[in-house]
Amino acid sequence: MKRLAAIKNVFAATALICLVFSSSCQSDAANDGKKKVAVIVSTLNNPWFVVLAQTAAAKAQLLGYETKIFDSQNNTALEADNFENAIASGYNAILFNPTDADGSVTNVLKAKAAGVPVFCMDREVNSTEAATSQILSDNYSGCVALGKYFVEAMNKKGNYVEILGLVGDNNTWNRSKGFHSVVDVYPGLKMVAQQSADFDRNKAMDVLESILQAHPDINAVFCGNDAMASGAYQALVAAGKANDVKVFGFDGSEDVVNAIKEKKIVATGMQFPKVMAETAAEYADEYFKGKKDFPQKMPVAVELVTQQNVDDYTGYGKKEGNK
Amino acid sequence: MKAVKYIIALVVIVVVAYNSIYFKKLDEVKAAATAKEFNAAQYAQDFWNNELIPNLNKAVDLSQLSSMLSADANRAFDNYSHALGIGNLRYFLVSGKGIVAVVNDDDMVVTLRDDTTTFVRTIATEFIFGNAVRDATGLININEFKNTMDFNNVSAELNRIIREKVLPQFKPVIKKGDAITFTGAIEMNKAHPDLSHIEIVPIDVKIVPR
Repeated sequence: MKRLAAIKNVFAATALICLVFSSSCQSDAANDGKKKVAVIVSTLNNPWFVVLAQTAAAKAQLLGYETKIFDSQNNTALEADNFENAIASGYNAILFNPTDADGSVTNVLKAKAAGVPVFCMDREVNSTEAATSQILSDNYSGCVALGKYFVEAMNKKGNYVEILGLVGDNNTWNRSKGFHSVVDVYPGLKMVAQQSADFDRNKAMDVLESILQAHPDINAVFCGNDAMASGAYQALVAAGKANDVKVFGFDGSEDVVNAIKEKKIVATGMQFPKVMAETAAEYADEYFKGKKDFPQKMPVAVELVTQQNVDDYTGYGKKEGNK
Repeated sequence: MKAVKYIIALVVIVVVAYNSIYFKKLDEVKAAATAKEFNAAQYAQDFWNNELIPNLNKAVDLSQLSSMLSADANRAFDNYSHALGIGNLRYFLVSGKGIVAVVNDDDMVVTLRDDTTTFVRTIATEFIFGNAVRDATGLININEFKNTMDFNNVSAELNRIIREKVLPQFKPVIKKGDAITFTGAIEMNKAHPDLSHIEIVPIDVKIVPR
């Protein structure tokens, strides 16, 4: 009787193993069709992120993958839902623009636990163990170049204001640190005020208007993005100081590229959202083909745009014919 | 018997408690944590001594590079430029011989020997910033770094070495008409290389007999 029971057990175990293997083979067979790539973006309410998401999806499609864009609406809870949906729906990779450097880490870890690689674009998460790779603008080096140009344009002396972006955003501080790594070497350049305007044009206008009440004698304004540079310029126009104060931005938006051509703004740092998005899609493709050793942080060069070279550029990129 | 049981239980509790709690000096714990952090200054100094200086003989002659960039820029970039990241900004390790034509506050203009062009080449003597020296050799691998600020700080430290060790060797004494040999790093935009003005970040500059 005991022998009979043992034989039954062996049969049952064999059947179970066969079942597991056959279902796994079936799932592989299903995936052998078209692999799926999810694009999860912080918001589609801002043209910058629309360009990022659409470029990533278009490149992934071009590489032969089925894609879908998930909008997190700047909400980490919604972002968590998007991750769960993407994982449950069988997406094989996620091209990700996080809503929050800290708050998004758990979502990336969930995908990692499910065996789904995540490639961050433009914004980073505060973990080097979660994403497969993070493709980011080299904000620090871009602002080193901008800082050097600032020092030259100011002839190493004068009073200036710094308008920061969101204080909780890593990009804000990487830009500020890069700028100060150069400018602080020159004691003749004095920062009379440093205030946040949350990357917002109208807030920057209000912030600079109130700073000008206390410091009417400033010579320059360095802004953490181009929207704030446009707002700062408007405040200077309203105060009748637009010709006396030099404005510097960062991003490479079309508005500011045109303002540099019109000599309203002195310089900006040109970012390349399309390069970041396309690289993320290419990395996912390489991952599927077997590559696993990706750099944790891959910087994308930021280029200095001034009145001397502005004709080579258009909004968020180079003119046709240039890379 | 009860007393023996109590004694054994007490001994067990004492042993477990003793092995469960450790005391360490706060200074030692802090020092251990700091030791694990990336030391950009040490990394930069080691790179300078063990990688950069021994490989300066691999620098491409700037006059030859200028000719190659004029004739076939893509080939020149593919063969001689490096960069840690992706994008259009690329870096070359260059060398040359020339005569100091002008000494300015922030740089000096050099007329290269064997240079058939009229382009301006300057050696920076004030604004030593950016990633040119870190990236130009191609010897640093981005996979060595997990944090963005680590490789940014390597650039800052290499530039500090130049400001503190390289510039003082020639900047105070250099004058118009001096013959020099130099090795340095240059940045160039691959999408639209500007050959009309090339700025060299100096790594080694020597005044030589004319």
